[in-house]
Amino acid sequence: MTAATRPVAFADAVHEHQDEVFGVALRITGDRDAALDVTSATFLNAFRAFHRYDQTRPVRHWLLRIATNEAITYVRRRGRELRRRIDVEQATALADPTPAPDAESLAREDRARIRSAVSLLPELYRVVIVLRYFNELSVGEIAQVTARPASTVGVQLLRGRALLRSALESRP
Amino acid sequence: MRNDQRDAELFDEIRLRRALRLEAAELPPRLDVAAIAARAEAARPAFLAASLMSTAVAGLAAAGLVALVAIALPSVAPAVASDLFADGIQTLARLATPASALLSLAAQPTIPIAVIAALAVGIAYEFAQRRERVVEVTS
Repeated sequence: MTAATRPVAFADAVHEHQDEVFGVALRITGDRDAALDVTSATFLNAFRAFHRYDQTRPVRHWLLRIATNEAITYVRRRGRELRRRIDVEQATALADPTPAPDAESLAREDRARIRSAVSLLPELYRVVIVLRYFNELSVGEIAQVTARPASTVGVQLLRGRALLRSALESRP
Repeated sequence: MRNDQRDAELFDEIRLRRALRLEAAELPPRLDVAAIAARAEAARPAFLAASLMSTAVAGLAAAGLVALVAIALPSVAPAVASDLFADGIQTLARLATPASALLSLAAQPTIPIAVIAALAVGIAYEFAQRRERVVEVTS
């Protein structure tokens, strides 16, 4: 039995995966408060369903699935798909409020641009991009988490990357 | 060319990973497992009550529908049956009118079927004769 498939207690699952769950929620919703709400809802739902969860399977994927669904529901409910904008200055201030050297400042600006572009992707592509490049999941694992066929996930990753590239090139 | 493209993709992927990574300032406050459990327990009675209520409402609605059908059926059934019977008779009458004309023609003793058959054989024979090849006689 590997670490990923070892039976886990709920408290262990929370401690091990809360940052990752929060991260996926933050990158999908693009909003810190929303991400905190989504994280809270994810663990609340997980607690209620923990007795039904098959403990021979990785708890990480199960939690990410709940978190992804919660984040998607949140985004849809708020209807912010088209009009959402990331406040780049706020994101930069949030990352590090101290003055930074130029190189670091440029790198931070680049990260903010990429995050903004990711947050403006259509939800279909944003979810797979976040699961791939934030959670470092393989295509097969993303297929499990999102309940989409692996071939579909592969295509969505390609299209998502292409959309990101063109968005970043059009806004240098 | 292909290598350049692959390098660009790899660069994109590295940039993406770096950009999406959580920074120290972004990390959320630690979650309290006991608080989650308490919230779940607190919400449970309301959830149970809501599910019981919705089940009761659905059951009542279904029972009402069944009762309505049971009451309405005896009063509606004769009317529906008579309408169906009238429609059936009307359709039968429509079909019977052209059918009776054809049947009476077939049963007419003044035009025996043998005569019609003989006529058909004659016509067929004439057609067959016309199709025969004409042989030119040159003597």
